[in-house]
Amino acid sequence: MTLGQKLTGLIALAIFAVSVMAMLAQYKLVTGDLAARQQALVQSDLDGFAALYDQRRVIAVRQAIEFRKISDPGQDLFAILLDRDGVVLAATHLDWPDAAGKPLAGETLAPRAFTEGGTRYLGIARGLPGGFALMVGRNATSTEQTSAQMRRIIWMACLAIAIAALILGQIASRMILTRLNRINALADEVAAGDLSARLPGPPAADEFGKLEHHIHHMLDQIEALHRATHHLSDTVAHEMRTPLTRIQTRLARLKTDNADTEALQGEIRSTIRIFDSLLEIARAEAMTGESKGPEMLDLSILLAEVCELYEPVAETRGIRFATEIQDSAMVLGDRNLIAQLVSNLLENALKFTPTGQSVLVALTDTPDRYLMRVEDTGPGLPIGFGAQIFERFSRAGSDPNAPGHGLGMALVKAVALRHGAKLALPGVKKGFAIEIAWPKLAENQ
Amino acid sequence: MTDPARVLIIEDDATTAREMSAFLSAEGFAPEVCVTLHDGLDRAATHSFDAIVLDRMLPGGDGIDAIATLRTTCPGARVLVVSALGRATNRIEGLDRGADDYLPKPFEPGELSARIRALLRRNDAVGTDLLAFGALQIRIKARTVHAGDDHIPLSPREFDLLVFFAQNTGDLVTRMQLLEHVWNLHFDPQTNVVDVHVSRLRRKLEAALPHPVLHTSRGLGYIFDPNAAPQDA
Repeated sequence: MTLGQKLTGLIALAIFAVSVMAMLAQYKLVTGDLAARQQALVQSDLDGFAALYDQRRVIAVRQAIEFRKISDPGQDLFAILLDRDGVVLAATHLDWPDAAGKPLAGETLAPRAFTEGGTRYLGIARGLPGGFALMVGRNATSTEQTSAQMRRIIWMACLAIAIAALILGQIASRMILTRLNRINALADEVAAGDLSARLPGPPAADEFGKLEHHIHHMLDQIEALHRATHHLSDTVAHEMRTPLTRIQTRLARLKTDNADTEALQGEIRSTIRIFDSLLEIARAEAMTGESKGPEMLDLSILLAEVCELYEPVAETRGIRFATEIQDSAMVLGDRNLIAQLVSNLLENALKFTPTGQSVLVALTDTPDRYLMRVEDTGPGLPIGFGAQIFERFSRAGSDPNAPGHGLGMALVKAVALRHGAKLALPGVKKGFAIEIAWPKLAENQ
Repeated sequence: MTDPARVLIIEDDATTAREMSAFLSAEGFAPEVCVTLHDGLDRAATHSFDAIVLDRMLPGGDGIDAIATLRTTCPGARVLVVSALGRATNRIEGLDRGADDYLPKPFEPGELSARIRALLRRNDAVGTDLLAFGALQIRIKARTVHAGDDHIPLSPREFDLLVFFAQNTGDLVTRMQLLEHVWNLHFDPQTNVVDVHVSRLRRKLEAALPHPVLHTSRGLGYIFDPNAAPQDA
């Protein structure tokens, strides 16, 4: 369930509950009042008959009942008088209703509702002094009809309120969600690498405006830090390369074409390479494209190209070099960085694999990713050496004079992560294997 | 004898600028130096140059931001960016922004002059189908190479290598240049992986030709010069 649905539901439920409770309270009040009036009316009728009995005895009461029977054809009134044996002395209707119960002398029963001749009545029974039982009632049909009508209205109102509440909830939640989505869209843009993305327009003077203001402030700080880091690495590169340029220029002027000069040039190149690698790792880790964002490229073509570059190297070293690259693997990525990743993997494989052994490069299509695998039958990693090969300056070989600076695999990791690829070191019986699972380019991109 | 090619050097490090200027003079260019971007742009707007050597982190701004301006104020000048921002990313960025070539610092002076010459030659090479060096004949469209009447079978990559060498005849070609132009890869691999490819090409050429045509320049790269050997001999 999304936040929007939850919010809509919650708001709608709150509106509905309050409205229904208010209507129920009103219903109770009105029906209670109607019932009380009806009861008071019956009570006063009963009191009237009882007073008649007190003053003029049974005969007067009988006459009054007979009179009412004639004068009230609508049968709104119900009255019945029994003698002490239960024989009807006078009645507007035929019988004493069983539901009403029989009072003892001097006792007044609680009001009861009953049906007589298809009509609803509310009646009160009283035992008159001398053993007579008197019951007086009033037609309750109109009161009950009013209540029923009220209930009908309440049902319809509930339905209307439920619909209105849902619509209101939807509107209210959309107001909140629109604001939230605005901020989410900004976060997506920033995550995609655009640190300069900001929300358009001034922030509103509410809590969301405050949140936008805070996020903008944070982004400003991140951007400033990011710029400072870039500036620092550019400055480091500049400050280091400028003196090296002078050294190299003077070295060239010595006009000595010997092994020392070549070695010195090699050292300069190697120094530069360390710095370049560190800076490229830092850049890949920062995940932002300096020149252009990731481009669409075919991983299989790129992999084949780099393999073609290294294939003769393997051949001259007497290493069997095999490729199993399947066609057409489109991904989004930085071509040069991925080429460098593949190059580093192949350099490592060729460096550690002895003559007569083999290196296999494969690219296979799996349901959700393209799986790149570089495997060799060399000595493999030393025991206990695992994920730390991806640390900067970590070297698997114990020989400190072996070529390399331990930055190759750090760059591999940084480039893979920058492209959202997953790294794995699957165990193999003999040698070393690494798998990189590249996210596929979505069909609609 | 044609006039020496005029080269404008926009470089803020005075020592480097002086060295570059001295070296380019010795190589037969007519260099001029400006130490700020502003001066350089002024100079380029009022005088004509064949090539501009442009630094990036200059007082007054980044050189590559000025490439578009240079294109209008000094049309016809080739722009070679020479910068301490030498990582692959920086180089690709420079080329994307319109630089004709990008040489990272530190560089071998011979490579600077070679790259400038290569840029100046670029116009001449367009439309040429046959590159002939004595017995060695390269047909670009047909992608064939002959030594006299004998066909030299080359792999596609070896052919591209040879064409790049031939287009830079007599000049130093570095391994980085080969990686960039032949393989379109902009990084410096640990091993000299390019050497193996060049050796293969060299073996095939030497088997067919009477004398070596590809010379190794120790620690730097290669020079393709099919005419040198017979003249010396």
